[in-house]
Amino acid sequence: MTGRRRARTAVALLLMLGPAAGGAAAPPAPQGSAAADALAYALLKQLVEINTTDSPRGNVTTAAEALAQHFRTAGFRAADIHVLGPSARKKNLVVRLRGSGTHPAVLLIGHLDVVEARREDWSTDPFRLIEQDGFFYGRGTLDMKGPDALMVAALIRLKREGFTPARDIILALTADEEGGAANGVEWLLEHHRALVDAQFVLSGDDYSVLTEHGRPLFFKLVASEKIYADYQLLVTNKGGHSSEPVPDNAIYSLTRGLDRLAAYEFPFELNAVTREYYRRLAGIETGQRSADMRAILREPSDPRSLARLSQDPVDHSITRTTCVATRLAAGHANNALPQRAQAVVNCRILPGHSPEEVRQRLVEVLANPAITVGYLASDGTLLDKAPAARGFAPPPLLPEVLNPLDELVAETWPGLRVIPSMSAGASDATHTSAAGLPTYTFSPLTVDPDDDREHGRDERIGVASFYQANEFMYRYLKMLTAH
Amino acid sequence: MSARVTSAIAFGLLAAAPLAAAPQAAMSDAAAQAMAHEIYQELVGINTTDSVGNVTTAAEAVAARFRAAGFPAADLAVLGPNERKKNLVVRLHGSGKHKAVLLIGHLDVVEARREDWSTDPFTLVEKDGYFYGRGALDMKAGDAIMATALLRLKQEGYRPSRDIVLALTADEEGGCCNGVDWLVRNHRALIDAEFVLNHDGLVGYSITSEHGVPQEFALSASEKTYADYQLTVTNPGGHSSLPRPDNAIYQLAEGLINIGRYAFPFELNAVTRAYFERMAAVASGQTAADMRAITRTPADAAAVGRLARQPDINSLMRTTCVATRLEAGHANNALPQRAQAVVNCRILPGHSKEEVRQDLIRVLNDPGITVRYVADDGTISDKAPQQPALAPSPLLPQVVKPLESTVAALWPGLPVVPYMNSSATDGIYTRAAGLPTYGVAGIAVDRDDVRAHGRDERVRVAAFYKGNQFFYRYLKAVTAQ
Repeated sequence: MTGRRRARTAVALLLMLGPAAGGAAAPPAPQGSAAADALAYALLKQLVEINTTDSPRGNVTTAAEALAQHFRTAGFRAADIHVLGPSARKKNLVVRLRGSGTHPAVLLIGHLDVVEARREDWSTDPFRLIEQDGFFYGRGTLDMKGPDALMVAALIRLKREGFTPARDIILALTADEEGGAANGVEWLLEHHRALVDAQFVLSGDDYSVLTEHGRPLFFKLVASEKIYADYQLLVTNKGGHSSEPVPDNAIYSLTRGLDRLAAYEFPFELNAVTREYYRRLAGIETGQRSADMRAILREPSDPRSLARLSQDPVDHSITRTTCVATRLAAGHANNALPQRAQAVVNCRILPGHSPEEVRQRLVEVLANPAITVGYLASDGTLLDKAPAARGFAPPPLLPEVLNPLDELVAETWPGLRVIPSMSAGASDATHTSAAGLPTYTFSPLTVDPDDDREHGRDERIGVASFYQANEFMYRYLKMLTAH
Repeated sequence: MSARVTSAIAFGLLAAAPLAAAPQAAMSDAAAQAMAHEIYQELVGINTTDSVGNVTTAAEAVAARFRAAGFPAADLAVLGPNERKKNLVVRLHGSGKHKAVLLIGHLDVVEARREDWSTDPFTLVEKDGYFYGRGALDMKAGDAIMATALLRLKQEGYRPSRDIVLALTADEEGGCCNGVDWLVRNHRALIDAEFVLNHDGLVGYSITSEHGVPQEFALSASEKTYADYQLTVTNPGGHSSLPRPDNAIYQLAEGLINIGRYAFPFELNAVTRAYFERMAAVASGQTAADMRAITRTPADAAAVGRLARQPDINSLMRTTCVATRLEAGHANNALPQRAQAVVNCRILPGHSKEEVRQDLIRVLNDPGITVRYVADDGTISDKAPQQPALAPSPLLPQVVKPLESTVAALWPGLPVVPYMNSSATDGIYTRAAGLPTYGVAGIAVDRDDVRAHGRDERVRVAAFYKGNQFFYRYLKAVTAQ
């Protein structure tokens, strides 16, 4: 997930409880899993040791070409392997495992690029895969060369078995998800739609088995995202000497505006997903909290119940768009009245609303024409207006995606539930959703959220978890495309 | 305040004293203007900000002119504790009848960003009857004018009745190495004098005008104390996708709103009381009535409120504090772990920096906001100094009488009024060293167009040249007998 958007709430939107209807026969024992693990390890090691940062040292094309070679060796036809992109260093790999054509294709996406890592910040060389104390260490082990290796390994394993899926399985491993000029998913959808077109999309860009002190809590399936948006509030003033203060002061204008923003709450709003979330959760929670969840689901909802629930920052964020001031800068000298005062306001926008709509709401809330509200694009560009496109409504939870997931999760982690969730951040799923493709994000890696080292130093994944996920991914793809 | 001060406050307008007889090799007014302009232009063009500028370059540039004009090497010194912050000290020898007069001016300027300005701040631009540039007012105009006066006197072969020492210095606007402070401490003999004339005046000017028409000449004899405070709020922070009610930025904002609303108590001292009494006679209508009303005991609150709407007058009547800087947060997508503001205060004589720090704590009314004192060198401490601000300088006749005569000759009818600076100048160091210090600058600036430290800082072209003429004549008058 991108740095500015790696936000993820523990906002678990409980939708489906328990495994799907039982009775499914136990799957055949995995064949050749030792060989499959060896392949997954080799792929992970190779990927981690190719620097794919958005810097002169990084090269995504090298990683794409290396993987393409694995597919060629495994017997994929040249016509089904494409390495392509708008920049020599930022090429993407698209591979297709041909199916029977019973159903339209499924597209798997993962990004090959990683964020920067400095040797001096790390305990080990971030661009070497190191196995130590039961973990694989290296930049991208979690975000997301681990998940990339799992998807590649599964596809090669299926190919080697001679498996014919009921639908084509397309894998796109891409550039610049973490930032940069050449986002691969966006570029492929715009320029090579036929190559990646699918009925739905599975992204591997989030770990799914959340644990607490090693105990799995639930399996998170991200099915909806809030939109991330940064705004810049700016007040300018002619300034002057601070020995003669005047009432019109850029800092005071800004702080009065921020005071109004702090007091403002965006309207309470539930959508189909969050409504279902509270309906289900009310049955699990007890006492006042359970009653409050029921009360906010009624029409009209009970404002006191909402106020009580909203004291929890997670519930507060599920039930509304949020905007919060995260940065301030003002003035240029201690002894000069400020000529400029600015703030960054970070918003997480509910599906169905646009960044421009929120920008206009901010203007209303600030209630001072002297405070201009600009939109800060992801590349840092400041724009007068924000995008008018609305956040995507959550896609329908397709049974063909969920049923096999439920089944396999229940088998792998008995008692664990799949919980569709809404992410407060955004990933490449934004681009596939924008193209009208229902997108679901999961990767069967087990991570304690308190030990989430994505983008941080000493990024790591558990060795046992990696091999368990390798088996899971292979079996899931097989079940997904069995009929 | 001594009786001597109060009596000296009642200035009469004296007839213009005849100036010295025509010198041997008199420089024409036109040539003096050209010289002042040339130095002014050169100085504005040298970036002397604390960040990337170099005061030594400016000091050397002016020194070169004195050398060329025949000042002996023994009377010229470029010296200081830091390579980028050297000061120029130059001496024009007099007859020794009286102890020297020291002229001070600072060469450094506050920061200026090209994108905030209409013109390049480090180029002197003449446009629409104004000179624009960083330091155009504060105070490279004054530096150029003082240097020109000394060069002109030298060229004329003028022999003053006392040595005239000029010190052009570093870091008045802040920085490691305040030049006046350093010279007073380390080279007292070099700059020792009976009294000091500081061309910083108010901020580089002494004459307040309205639409270009001079209203009064303020003789700065006292000043407020300068103090910076740092306000800090800390918070555990967190991810911005999950905002919480407790937020460092909002907490700081609320505190600053309280500061913005607060007015320190109205208070007059001997100098400001005399100022308002004198100004009441000059002003008209409601303003004159209000000035009279605030000098009565008790002062009329409505009159105080009306006068306080004028920022320059407001700052004479009370200590002021204003937020000048903000900084908070470390990433757009993270809740701020720290929010900080700088609050700049100008404190009336008789009050201490620690007293004002306590006032701020009371006004902020939030124990979560810590208030620390920021010293001139940037050091931050939990408490501020306790000693009250310095008393005004006595109004010496050898300073005041020539001033009245010169002002009367150049601006007939313009009142000279004693003044307390709301801005701090290097006069605090000379006063602290026991040298009576007076802010005197013959530049006129409109009351509502003081752009010192701001964007598009400027001075009227005519005001610059008249200020140049004034200072030469005043300096001659001060050293005539």
